Amino acid sequence: MSPGSQDQPDDAMVDLLVKQVTEGLSPAEQRALDVLDSALASEHLREFERAAAAITLAAPVQALPPSLRARLEEQAQIHAASATHVQALRATGTAAAEARRVSRSASAGWFAAAACLLLALFGWFRSPPSSVAPTADVHVTAPPPATMPPLPAPKEPPTAAEERAALLAKAESRKITLGATKDPAAAGVTGDVVWDPATQTGFLHFVGLAPNDPQVHQYQLWIFDGGRDKRYPVDGGVFNVPANAGEVVIPIHAELPIVKLAAVAVTIEKPGGVVVSSRDHVIVLGTAG
Amino acid sequence: MRECIDQYGALVWSLARRLSRTPSDAEDATQEIFLDIWRSAGRFDATQGSDKVFVAMIARRRLIDRLRKTTSEPAMAPVEVLESVAWSDPGTASETSPEAAQAARALRELRPEQRQVLELGLLHGLSQSEIAARLGMPLGTVKSFMRRGLIKVREFLNVDAKSVSERV
Repeated sequence: MSPGSQDQPDDAMVDLLVKQVTEGLSPAEQRALDVLDSALASEHLREFERAAAAITLAAPVQALPPSLRARLEEQAQIHAASATHVQALRATGTAAAEARRVSRSASAGWFAAAACLLLALFGWFRSPPSSVAPTADVHVTAPPPATMPPLPAPKEPPTAAEERAALLAKAESRKITLGATKDPAAAGVTGDVVWDPATQTGFLHFVGLAPNDPQVHQYQLWIFDGGRDKRYPVDGGVFNVPANAGEVVIPIHAELPIVKLAAVAVTIEKPGGVVVSSRDHVIVLGTAG
Repeated sequence: MRECIDQYGALVWSLARRLSRTPSDAEDATQEIFLDIWRSAGRFDATQGSDKVFVAMIARRRLIDRLRKTTSEPAMAPVEVLESVAWSDPGTASETSPEAAQAARALRELRPEQRQVLELGLLHGLSQSEIAARLGMPLGTVKSFMRRGLIKVREFLNVDAKSVSERV
């Protein structure tokens, strides 16, 4: 459990690590930590994180509110239906080894089950085997047959515009037209959102949105969910518009599952976005049906 | 996944409630944390600690990220309303996880003001500067208390881990 290295971090590193696990680091502090011995830092960071977590476990807990529990169950259903394939693809070859380690712990049954699910999905996505590159946990590869036909040229992945067009063609997708506000930055902007509630995927589409300097500000998408308090829209992520872009299509990555898409808005925020928008610069707005 | 909510819902919610500015913020944070847990389940390694520590680590990372995004906003709660935490005794904490019991033992060996610094920082989400202002303590002392407290708990955890590995 203890760091394997005999090297001990110096005071400066310990101060940064303690701050990281208690309140997080500023960008300047993060840069200062990055230039130190990264292996030693990550070794000790995990130890401090574990100590901080253990301390929080020694404090009393309060019951989960029933309404939140219901939302979590809804979220679990959506996640199980649409998002686990992403995990499976990310799991790559290390999933097998990790899942085997998981199975050692009888006290962590849920994690074992989840890891098995990852493995099962991973296996499913790898079929047919001949079309997928071997991953780290595959140690035996059959030699190719002597008369193997030439492989077709790999297809280019679809562009965001093509994916949006495909989504738009699906009967279950929903489209919301966006209207420009009176904000000066909104002049001449038109756009829409295409959203698939089943897969929780969607795209923003704009014409005329001004390019931004990501060091100065970024655009941020907000999604209003009919099942949630409208004062707290879901963060749809930040995005940039490059110079001379003309028409832009941006994939949507909602931080939380959207039960019922009610409205969307785009604001201008500081780089990296905000948790709660002041709504000083709302650029476009659109409501469902 | 329901079983996961049963097992860790109260833990995640309690952490989120303490380290979020509003109840609504805590609810959003709880949802984000459960997504993180589901996505990270494959990385759980029982040889590195209990499932509850794994979940608490994921939760704390997410909550600290969220807090840092809102550092320009007013403090999450007036300091007067922060209630002192009744730490579990080691026997009770052992029902939660072995690490909780070891942390409870380590906390007992700390001076009250050291425990208070850990409590304000780890359970109430105050920054070191905020703790210094609240307790009227030099910032260097707060840093030192925080550091020594975490190192003390870390030592207890490592001793426990060593004794476990020796038994195996």
